Amino acid sequence: MASVVVRDVSLNFGAVEVLKSLNIEVEQGEFLVLLGPSGCGKSTLLNCIAGLLDVTDGQIFINGKNVTWEQPKDRGIGMVFQSYALYPQMSVEGNLSFGLKNQRLPADEIAERVKRASEILQIEPLLKRRPSALSGGQRQRVAIGRALVRDVDVFLFDEPLSNLDAKLRNELRVEIKRLHQKLANTMVYVTHDQIEAMTLADRIAVMRNGIIQQLDAPQAIYSRPVNRFVAGFIGSPGMNFLEGTIEGGATPRFNAGDTTIDTKGYEFADKPETGTKAVFGVRPEHVMLGEAARAMPYTSEVDIEIVEPMGSDTLAWTRLGGQNFTFRTDSEYAPKEGEKVLIGFDPARASLFDAHTDIRL
Amino acid sequence: MADTVETAVAAAGARPVERGRWERWLIAGIAGGVLLRLAMLLGLSVWFEELGTAGDWIVEGLPWLVLAFAGLSLIAVIANSASGFSLSGNRLRGHVVGWTIAALLLLVFDLLGPQFKPAVSVLGKPARIFIEFCGEHGLFLAAVCLLVAGALAASGSEKQLLSRPGIFERVWALNLTAKIAAVPMMLVALGVFTGGTVWTVVYSFTDSRLLPREKWVGLAQYDRLWGEDRWLISIENLLIYGVCSLVFSIVIGFLLAAMLDQKVRFENTFRTIFLYPFALSFIVTGLVWQWVLNPDFGIQGVVRSLGWETFTFDPLYNQDIVIYGILIAGLWQGTGLIMCLMLAGLRGIDEEIWKAARIDGIPMWKTYLFIVVPMMRPVFITTLVLIASGIVRVYDLVVAQTSGGPGIASEVPAKYVYDKMFLGQNLAQGFAASTMMLLSVLIVLIPWAYLEFGGKKRG
Repeated sequence: MASVVVRDVSLNFGAVEVLKSLNIEVEQGEFLVLLGPSGCGKSTLLNCIAGLLDVTDGQIFINGKNVTWEQPKDRGIGMVFQSYALYPQMSVEGNLSFGLKNQRLPADEIAERVKRASEILQIEPLLKRRPSALSGGQRQRVAIGRALVRDVDVFLFDEPLSNLDAKLRNELRVEIKRLHQKLANTMVYVTHDQIEAMTLADRIAVMRNGIIQQLDAPQAIYSRPVNRFVAGFIGSPGMNFLEGTIEGGATPRFNAGDTTIDTKGYEFADKPETGTKAVFGVRPEHVMLGEAARAMPYTSEVDIEIVEPMGSDTLAWTRLGGQNFTFRTDSEYAPKEGEKVLIGFDPARASLFDAHTDIRL
Repeated sequence: MADTVETAVAAAGARPVERGRWERWLIAGIAGGVLLRLAMLLGLSVWFEELGTAGDWIVEGLPWLVLAFAGLSLIAVIANSASGFSLSGNRLRGHVVGWTIAALLLLVFDLLGPQFKPAVSVLGKPARIFIEFCGEHGLFLAAVCLLVAGALAASGSEKQLLSRPGIFERVWALNLTAKIAAVPMMLVALGVFTGGTVWTVVYSFTDSRLLPREKWVGLAQYDRLWGEDRWLISIENLLIYGVCSLVFSIVIGFLLAAMLDQKVRFENTFRTIFLYPFALSFIVTGLVWQWVLNPDFGIQGVVRSLGWETFTFDPLYNQDIVIYGILIAGLWQGTGLIMCLMLAGLRGIDEEIWKAARIDGIPMWKTYLFIVVPMMRPVFITTLVLIASGIVRVYDLVVAQTSGGPGIASEVPAKYVYDKMFLGQNLAQGFAASTMMLLSVLIVLIPWAYLEFGGKKRG
């Protein structure tokens, strides 16, 4: 049974359409990540699910119950915020138990829940401290704890790691994943960080301008993006886009400047006609160099223009078909600037988009 | 030469230990001499008057003696810092030259002062005062300037071997511009606040009437003060007004702010309306409310003309409740500002706190009371200080609304002080009353300051 269902939800602020008739179904125990650039409506959607914003149109179901007009506290959700939103004048224990006391739960049950949550999150030594005496990572743990003690089926995370530094973010990311494995709750997680999205999600919903572009497993989004926006948004460094035209036939060929790429092995959704303007996308990490390139269906001799060493690997800038083209290579065997090298890739792993509609061919 | 000193000291591993002590004596000597002379001018000389000629010698000579001690310290400093007076390689050359020039100028004015007299009438009064000042104190000040110049020269000749600037340099050379710029402010603060307060307290023990005079009467003025009905009523009124105004200002101000914070329409308009009374002076506020509360033209008159013939609402004409009539006007004037401060405080609270509270299912009033209000502690302290200072000095409102009447039913301490000092020609009585006001403020302030600032050291 679907745990969270968003059906035809729209939201307008005055004349501005923030969400446009969205539909999502989140399975029981699934980890769904809403990913997109700022202003795409992902946090707004989460607030609608939480009941902090009233939807203009549509319905929201949580655990099969229509909660569209329920108060947030009655929806069976817990939420974690970017700024932690802890109550600063209360101890950690007070923060965890304040909501429960308001539900008039018996004292021993409150103590029980606080104890369990603090054990899971390893914040027992901090229970008597004020939030101001905690580090950012500890604060966010307490904030997760406050969602945990509510004993709910659905957890909502609103960019919970964005206020933390890079190292702490990695640590807490793993911990959230571990938490999800342990509790097996449904989690909806908003982020603009694609690494968080790729590592945590069972499925990712990539959003843009209040519309879900693609809703799929992380690997599928990475290897078969449905449009050019998704292709460019996912992956770092970004995908190479070569503009050119299609030459039809049994195996259509792609022409860009003086380069022709045979698309043997590429699964077209629909065989394109000759002369279609198209964009050919190759991920920098799918490009091979030197000996390994010879085994690839497509090879080309290129001049290296700029080399960007990044430690674990090196990004090399070159030109292919008269357009900028980057590829990633092992730092040990990185080419020099001005060198002539052989590169190759498999068009079967590439993505082709219609130049007008940006949709995958 | 400086280089050899540097290497010698570096080899020894430390700078001369003695120097710091003599520098301290030097500073103490200069400051002591100046302060002593100032004290003599301001009245300390009275003590030595009975000694006749010997007393005059002490008054004139003691500051010079202290200064001479400073001079000896300077010689010790120079002797200890070994490198002496090398002016060419001196880090503080500019300062040394400046202080020397100042000393020379003072000397010139001191010696040639009388010669300038004819020209002075052209230059006007400030110049005359300056010349006279130099004639009297020029020599002393020149000596002080020379001492400072010498000390700076000694400090400056030590070059970079210092791990940090010496005491003298820190006092006289570092950030000198900023220190000079701060002097007028310091003088005002010392003279007006400290000096004025001390003067008031001292003269409250005299029997000064129209003019201050030093005839000591002990606590007689305080005796009289606490025996007077008018003062006792003033205190009582201040207490009622103070407590009510504190409570109602904060409660009403916070409620208005909380209401405006609900994303209401025309918020700006409401804010302007609520804040508008604050733009009026207390005198105008008092007059307006005097009319509103007037039994013949105000609220009572209007309601009676509507048919309720026996309706009575005349707080300003009823001795028992007149202070509440003043309170209404005070609240009307003051709550707008409190509301604005509270609103700013509410806006400063992270919106996600509200969201978290809603998810936790905490009712709105509880969120305000247990989460938001504690978070607004700094705002509450600010408003508390504003309201409290407004309470203690309440004066013009009373004057405009009731002039203390009916009878003496709406007197307040500030009005008592003013009346005694400027209308009753009874200065010392007014001083005693204002000392009592200061005392009561301190009684509230000191325990609070102790709790607020003393607690942090423990925690």
